Amino acid sequence: MSKRNEIDVKNFKPAIVYTIYIAAAPEKVWEALTQAEFSRKYFSGQAVEVDLRVGGAFVMRTPDGALHISGEVIECEPLKKLTVTFNVNWPALLEKLGPTLVTYEIEPAGDVVKLTMLQSHDREISDDILSGGRTGWPAILSSLKTLLETGQALTIQMQPPERMLAALKELGIGTP
Amino acid sequence: MDEVFKALADASRRALLDRLHARNGQTLNELCDGLDMTRQAVTKHLGILEAANLVTTLRHGREKLHYINPVPIHQIGERWIKKFERGKLAALSELKRQLEKRDE
Repeated sequence: MSKRNEIDVKNFKPAIVYTIYIAAAPEKVWEALTQAEFSRKYFSGQAVEVDLRVGGAFVMRTPDGALHISGEVIECEPLKKLTVTFNVNWPALLEKLGPTLVTYEIEPAGDVVKLTMLQSHDREISDDILSGGRTGWPAILSSLKTLLETGQALTIQMQPPERMLAALKELGIGTP
Repeated sequence: MDEVFKALADASRRALLDRLHARNGQTLNELCDGLDMTRQAVTKHLGILEAANLVTTLRHGREKLHYINPVPIHQIGERWIKKFERGKLAALSELKRQLEKRDE
């Protein structure tokens, strides 16, 4: 397994681990995770762009084209595992909180697949700040499941939790 | 979905979820610590929670860590609660919280 020198995944501990079972082929789940035409439907309108090789760029853009998440591919095993750095582009966030890793693991489980999402950090992150991921990921994963199983994504209205915004502000991190 | 409701229909298992909610990513030893349950009982309950996809385990170095997985509960919420006006339910929960706080 190839890894980037700058980021050693062994130094990261998962803070959030979510699992969902989806009645779809691994290929479809992989496509949905890596292609903008899918992500726009289940990921709050955001478009994913990823160069699927270790060291390749990973970004997510808001519907108006602005760069929201930037990162790079750390591990890539097509149809099985994708690990990327997943840094929200808010001023000073990366310096204050360190890098965020997001890993998707796809495992066949009978007729369905088990999709596991891990959000990992190389330091302790407060519950207030983690509340963003804890609120967002279940909605995103449920919407992804519904999209793949029915062809229609769920529209879930999402706002960043107040407690997260307050905690970020306290750390001097700019928020929109 | 049956498995989720069955798994939740047990106070010991709900207590284990509460412990993971308070601190995510615990080992079996940490989860057993201070609980009035045998290690075997905790293992059995964790197995039921994992089968219902309410707990996810993963290996981190030598340790097996347990994480709470709220995705099935979120799906229950989407299916049965959101339709019935979550806003009002949130207001009622808040009212209950405020009233109970005054009793303390």
